[in-house]
Amino acid sequence: MNAIRRWMPEWLSPTALGLFAGAVAALHFLPRAVELSPYDHNQITLAFVFIAAALAWNWLGGFVGQVSFGHSAMFGVGGFVAARLILTATALPFWLTWLAGGAIAGLYALAWGHPTLRLRGPYFSIATIGVGEATRLLLTYWTQFTGGVSGLMLPINPDLKYSLYWYGLYFLALVAAASYVLRHSRLGLGLLAIKSDVDAAADVGVGVVFCQDLVLFLSGAVLGVAGGFYASYFSFIEPNDMFGFDRSISFVLMAVIGGVGTVFGPVLGAIVFVLLRQFLIASYPQLYLGLYGVLLIVVVLFEPLGLSGLIFRLTRRLRTLRAAR
Amino acid sequence: MARGLDLLLSAVLLAGLYATMAYGLGLIYGVLRIVNLNHGGMIMAGAYMGWLLHSRLGIDPYLSLPLVAAVSFGFGVLLYRTLVMHLPRGAAGGVQSLLLLFGVWLVLRNAAYLMFTGNDQVIQTEYANKAVMVLGTSQSLNRLVVFGIAAVTLLGLHLLLTRTYVGKAIRAVAQNADSCTLVGIHVERIYMLTFGIGTALAGIAGLLGGTIFAFNPTFGAVELLKCFVIVVLGGLGSALGTAAAALVLAAVEVFAILLIPAYLTAAVGFVLLVLVLIFRPGGFFGQRVLG
Repeated sequence: MNAIRRWMPEWLSPTALGLFAGAVAALHFLPRAVELSPYDHNQITLAFVFIAAALAWNWLGGFVGQVSFGHSAMFGVGGFVAARLILTATALPFWLTWLAGGAIAGLYALAWGHPTLRLRGPYFSIATIGVGEATRLLLTYWTQFTGGVSGLMLPINPDLKYSLYWYGLYFLALVAAASYVLRHSRLGLGLLAIKSDVDAAADVGVGVVFCQDLVLFLSGAVLGVAGGFYASYFSFIEPNDMFGFDRSISFVLMAVIGGVGTVFGPVLGAIVFVLLRQFLIASYPQLYLGLYGVLLIVVVLFEPLGLSGLIFRLTRRLRTLRAAR
Repeated sequence: MARGLDLLLSAVLLAGLYATMAYGLGLIYGVLRIVNLNHGGMIMAGAYMGWLLHSRLGIDPYLSLPLVAAVSFGFGVLLYRTLVMHLPRGAAGGVQSLLLLFGVWLVLRNAAYLMFTGNDQVIQTEYANKAVMVLGTSQSLNRLVVFGIAAVTLLGLHLLLTRTYVGKAIRAVAQNADSCTLVGIHVERIYMLTFGIGTALAGIAGLLGGTIFAFNPTFGAVELLKCFVIVVLGGLGSALGTAAAALVLAAVEVFAILLIPAYLTAAVGFVLLVLVLIFRPGGFFGQRVLG
């Protein structure tokens, strides 16, 4: 045990590592142990990707403190790059097309984000609204690449769709591990310093520009891979769906519900969001937009750290109760 | 040449509407340091209010303007008292106010879908298609009236801010809220008033926009981005800057039609926003607001 402890970096908690490995293993064997209906199987697969996207949004929105309302831009770019590659370079394994989509999406994020991240205050957020909408418009009319409003059809492969569960799971595991590292490592401390005070962070030697750009690139790249995965999953993508403002908002909401800036809050948030959306679309399709709005208002006013804050408060109260007894 | 003059006049007329739209956003940001994302929602609500009053009660949209302005003002005050007031001030509240007001916008948009469906609507008056000759070019009567109302509104606001006691208080709070408390200005009341005025301007702009353009519940989103372009370009707290920036944006949009396909002109504003943020984050006229 001591030997393992020495081998691990000191910021890595063995409990967290154990829980993480246990969760991944349990999810790995879940479809073999329990007879999941195809619907549930697919829903869980899709949830993996959205959780990963919410975690990646949180790197920028929570860890660096720059809220992006335009993350659908990278999701869409990744999706369309992957889809184009699947259609043209059929020899490529599909996971390589996702990676290519992720890399290009990350670079795209850097292209507009490198200059705008230097802005303070709400200006970055404002710019992201513009970037998201501009990307949607431009790519909707770039019909040679995206197929325009009619979108792109990809070859359907039922076996692949079934096995996407495990690809999604390990993609999520990687992103979740990266979240933990980003928060607890030296880089994470730097990000925290940048979030609190950019000038002070720069004064004590944090490479502000490098850190912000790195996180933006990583966040964009994960969104791009998620977009590529999404394209493979649905076998059909269309610019207004991929780049829609609603999609950008869904990433924001997942993180906000779960707890902006917490390590695993977005996981909870994304699960709640996916379940809630299923329920709302099935029961109250005419109300879901407004209920998202109410949810945002309630969380911001009463529990800015979302579900994570709520859980934190409850456990603390339980502990004090127990101590009192 | 005649075509150039025609486009230039169109740009000037459009700029009046843009300036009205943007001024409310800039005012609220300048005084409260809050980016009112619900501005887009109020623009949409203003257009629907005008449409409702015209189609149900037969009131001319230009005559219903004071009513729409008053209702929007009331809504802004209510919004401030119930929600915005409870947010932390300063940088800590930045992200929270963005998210909160965005939530309000989503609620408004959903309400509009429920009440009016997602179909496009227009405020169709009998003079909607009339045109008048101006400097040898034919211009829509509607757009001329909208420009006139926008100019009067902005002038009135400018006088309010520069010539009245309340206006002086608003400008003082924008400069230093703490000192204002010391000299006996009720800062919270000024915040509330400013939020109300900013929201009322959004409502007015929405109504004016609704007489020119077709609208649906997503109306206001694109307009909000244009407001951002203008506020960033024109700098904060400068009426002249706002007007000039509105003219720049309108001219770029109008003249872009000559150079690029029409469907891409909608993206021009966004590209301009990003470019402005990158190269002139302090705007061309106002002070640099960023570190």
